[in-house]
Amino acid sequence: MHDVTMPLFAEPPTTSSASQVVLACAMGAAGIFLLLPRPSGRKVALGTFLALAGLGVMATFMLDAFGKPEKDDVGTWLFYLFATGAVGFAGVLVAQRNPARGAIAFAFVVLNVCGLFVLLAAPFLAAASVVVYAGAIIVTFLFVLMLSHARGHSPENDRTREPLLGTLAAFAFIGLVLFGLYESRPEYPFDVSVKVIDGVGHEATAISPVPTLPLTPHDKLALEQIARKLADVADGDYTTAKQFVDATESIRVELGGVLGGIDGRYRYLPRDRSDIPPPGTWALDRARDVERKSKAVENALTRSPNDARQAVRQLREAVLLLRGSSELPARNVANLGYLLYSEHLLAVELAGTLLLVATIGAVAIAGRKAVPA
Amino acid sequence: MIGVWHYLAVAAVLFGLGLVGFLTRRNLITMFLCAELMLQGVVLNLVAFSKFHGNLSGQVFGLVVITVAACEAGMAMALFVLLYRRAKTLDASDWQGVREDQIPAAPEEAGPPMAEPAPAYPTLTPAGARPSAGEEAPARV
Amino acid sequence: MSETTLAMAVVLLPLLAAVATTVLRPLRLVHLAHVPAVVGFGAAAVLAFWLLLQVQDAKVPSFINAPIPWFSLGNLRVTVSIHVDPLSATMLATVTFVAAWIAIFSAGYMHGDSGYDRYFAVMGLFVFSMCLLVLANNFLLLVAGWEGVGLCSYLLVGYYYAKPSAAAAARKAFLVTRLGDVGFLLGIFLLWQAGHYEMNLNQLFTNLVLHPPSDGTLTTACLLLFCGAVGKSAQFPLYVWLPDAMEGPTPVSALIHAATMVTAGVYLLARCAPIYAMSSAATATVALIGGITACLAAFLAVGQTDLKRVLAYSTVSQLGFMFMALGCMRAITPGIAVAAAIFHLFTHAFFKALLFLGSGSVMHAMGGVDIRKFGGLRRLMPVTHLTFLAGAAALAGIPPLAGFWSKDQILDALNEACDSDSPNGAIYAIVLGLALIAAAMTAFYTFRAYFLTFWGEERIPPEAGHHAHESPWVMLAPLCVLAVGAVFAGIAVEPFGNGFSHFLSRSPSVELANVVYAKQTNLIPIEHPHLNLTVAGVGMGLAFLGFGLAAVLYRKGGPEVVPPMLVPVFEASKNKLYVDEIYNATVVKPAEVLATASRQVDGAVGSLARLVAFLPKAVGTFLRPLQNGLVQFYALGMVLGLAVFLTLVVARFTR
Repeated sequence: MHDVTMPLFAEPPTTSSASQVVLACAMGAAGIFLLLPRPSGRKVALGTFLALAGLGVMATFMLDAFGKPEKDDVGTWLFYLFATGAVGFAGVLVAQRNPARGAIAFAFVVLNVCGLFVLLAAPFLAAASVVVYAGAIIVTFLFVLMLSHARGHSPENDRTREPLLGTLAAFAFIGLVLFGLYESRPEYPFDVSVKVIDGVGHEATAISPVPTLPLTPHDKLALEQIARKLADVADGDYTTAKQFVDATESIRVELGGVLGGIDGRYRYLPRDRSDIPPPGTWALDRARDVERKSKAVENALTRSPNDARQAVRQLREAVLLLRGSSELPARNVANLGYLLYSEHLLAVELAGTLLLVATIGAVAIAGRKAVPA
Repeated sequence: MIGVWHYLAVAAVLFGLGLVGFLTRRNLITMFLCAELMLQGVVLNLVAFSKFHGNLSGQVFGLVVITVAACEAGMAMALFVLLYRRAKTLDASDWQGVREDQIPAAPEEAGPPMAEPAPAYPTLTPAGARPSAGEEAPARV
Repeated sequence: MSETTLAMAVVLLPLLAAVATTVLRPLRLVHLAHVPAVVGFGAAAVLAFWLLLQVQDAKVPSFINAPIPWFSLGNLRVTVSIHVDPLSATMLATVTFVAAWIAIFSAGYMHGDSGYDRYFAVMGLFVFSMCLLVLANNFLLLVAGWEGVGLCSYLLVGYYYAKPSAAAAARKAFLVTRLGDVGFLLGIFLLWQAGHYEMNLNQLFTNLVLHPPSDGTLTTACLLLFCGAVGKSAQFPLYVWLPDAMEGPTPVSALIHAATMVTAGVYLLARCAPIYAMSSAATATVALIGGITACLAAFLAVGQTDLKRVLAYSTVSQLGFMFMALGCMRAITPGIAVAAAIFHLFTHAFFKALLFLGSGSVMHAMGGVDIRKFGGLRRLMPVTHLTFLAGAAALAGIPPLAGFWSKDQILDALNEACDSDSPNGAIYAIVLGLALIAAAMTAFYTFRAYFLTFWGEERIPPEAGHHAHESPWVMLAPLCVLAVGAVFAGIAVEPFGNGFSHFLSRSPSVELANVVYAKQTNLIPIEHPHLNLTVAGVGMGLAFLGFGLAAVLYRKGGPEVVPPMLVPVFEASKNKLYVDEIYNATVVKPAEVLATASRQVDGAVGSLARLVAFLPKAVGTFLRPLQNGLVQFYALGMVLGLAVFLTLVVARFTR
């Protein structure tokens, strides 16, 4: 007699995820289909319910498949807020009969996407989107008011073309892309327990994703503390040389631990392809630099105190650079501008030319005399 | 921590919803907005990858996409004005002229015929009777 | 300047003129289109004469240029190689000289024509091709020139292409000539194979002489080459295109269909003298064909009422004379035979061009060439009359004009061939007889045309009207120059001292032919012909007989009166012995039947193709409704396709 309980309802992960995707897309498709405007009247309540349910299933799938975020992260809640807002208002835009209201819904979609941009460290893009789309949306809105003030029913707003096929095709597309994303996700588990020790010494266990970069948030915290200590040492008053040496030694030992961790993680970083260096290579270079500077401090200890302090200051700068590596630069606008006018100059020129041509074209097209019908 | 996959999923959904709108809605302006919605999904993808790879090229692409979207908006508006002048409607289904010879125009979606909108005649004050309060105020002569 | 550079310049000047003419229309200078041609041909003629003197002075009269690569195929390297020797230099000088004067004449004759520039451009191209043909030192280059002159002939015969008869004549000329060219090309391949795949002509002949192929091969090759000559030089049975080619402008007839292009076949055989000297069967055939052609064409010329057609048949007949001379190559010293043929070619170029230009002058004034419609023009057009008389006398063989000397040399050669111990002596006897008859008829038809045109009462057709006048000086000057040539060209170069024969005999190919002759017959080649007084007397007598007969019959001019007993003869001659009708019945009709049958077969095959074509149409009936003009519907199709594609991708990469 076997003692092994048969997992009756357990399914392999792929099947469950696939069914989640299928369910979400089916419900979303049904909901949107019911919500689309039609002359025979649409089922708003059922449609909305189905669409929201589909959204919920999708969220479940997303969190299951791509990892649950930490609960106490403000960014996570903001992500939920903006993502839900963007998708929700997009649904409103698609289903809304009145194009003017649709335009407003689209404005909200843009605002929410801009929120997501900010979360993705793209503040300039967010601002540019708001500016450009605000202008475009206002113009659109004006046109809507001017051109489609048809009273009552009008075929273009109240009828749709191939609603069933169109909805099915688009949701099949969504489902396939989601499933493709699921299939191409990295192999390592997203959620592992790590011990987090904060600056005060409290220890906690948190669900944290395995980093895709060699520097964990923990490392960053540690590096910040080390940098602070190094600053203290460099400018501190020490009565004896031994005190100075001891202080630097203890910091260097701590630093060695952090560097070892980075090294080890780098070695086990998931590599998509063997011929492309993983994304943390730059951080590793910085770590090597820190290592060198640390050695330099050791050597400088035998020389004059001023040299030693200078070496410690250099080590601190290297540590700060390592802390900031593998992240987008904080000065987004300046760096973006630099990149635009150095690496992507041709793209800028082409975009400018395109704008000019479009302006001329728009004037040429719209400026024509009215054609007799 | 929210990873790049979450953003990609959201972007895919945005794109798909834009696709639904573009394929089914008949108002040219709504179709245009849905196309912009798809562009938003694409830009979100680019920016998420930019974060993921730790370099700004994705954002540069995003800027280019926004430029293209602006051009598109300008051209689309100009074309809409032109089309509206010709047909006095914004229905995309009115433009089927490029179909094959001898193929009939695509039929309207099945459903009850739409009621004619009630004509908005100006209301006149009933002669002789004093209008009651709360009703529409008569024009002062 | 070396001789070959000079020769190159002679070749390229006409081409340059042609190219220069083509740019005149964009510049609105069409009325100056004759300038490049006249200047180019004139300069080429001067250079050609200088070249002739150089060749005459040189110790070894043979110049070959440094070969210019043309193309290469595998091991075969074809070069642009030209060869100057007395034979080609003589030919070159004749061609360019006549061409220059005819270009001047054309400037007056074609004045005001809408295709003025086209005419001169094609003429430039023609002279270029002809020079190339003459100077070519390998068969491929020769063929290039050969086909080039054929093309230009086609273009110029069909010059008035809006006229159906002109277009048909051009087509006929091209196709009939093409028939001969097939044999020509096969002959070239055969010779090339037999001569160890050598491109260089002189080397090829040497190879063939040193290692002669079998008699059959050689005779076949010679006859195939002769096929090309028969086509190009309008010999029996392919002569039918030449009379029709008179649809072209008259100066073109003078240049291409009298003086130059049609003599290309004669030149070809002269150039290939060494191999003809080896084959007695081939040479006898050549002589026989020449004799038949000469006699037949002379007979046909008697009845013609169209002045140009008389001259065309006369050209065919005179070319037959040249081939008769060439046909003696195996029986007598080849050098003598070649010299006789080329000498006649040389004098014929002058007097025949002169006669054509004279008839062109008449045509210019009368608006037509039907000799029944006009007459007694000698007072109206004195210069034309006198020059025409000079040409006619030369053609008839009245001593001491050019034609007499050259024709006498041919008769001489034939006479020698009869007396030689050649196995074909009987054939040569027949040919000699034919030649004598032809000579008599030549004098008759020439003076018939002359008397009917210029003697008797003055009659001018109504359509000429007040336009009937002597031609302008620009047309008369070439007439006078050519008339001087027709009178003196013969007596100046040959009869006293045999300068022409000596000069030609120094050509390498002719010398080689003499060597072959000596080897095969064990006879010592004769250096120059001896004047046989008997033959000369007979020839002269026949010429005067023909002249006298014509004078008796037509001196009074007026409408032609045919003696009653000769009516059927004249009718037969006038109707060209029904040769065109015979060809039509024997060649064209069967071909038509075959074509009709082929068309039916093609129709059957075509219905199969239509069946295949029906398939996509049937599929299209089902797919066409998809093209409903709704852009959104198309986008939907795109998205559905994308979904299918994504499904495949996901299924492929699912772990």
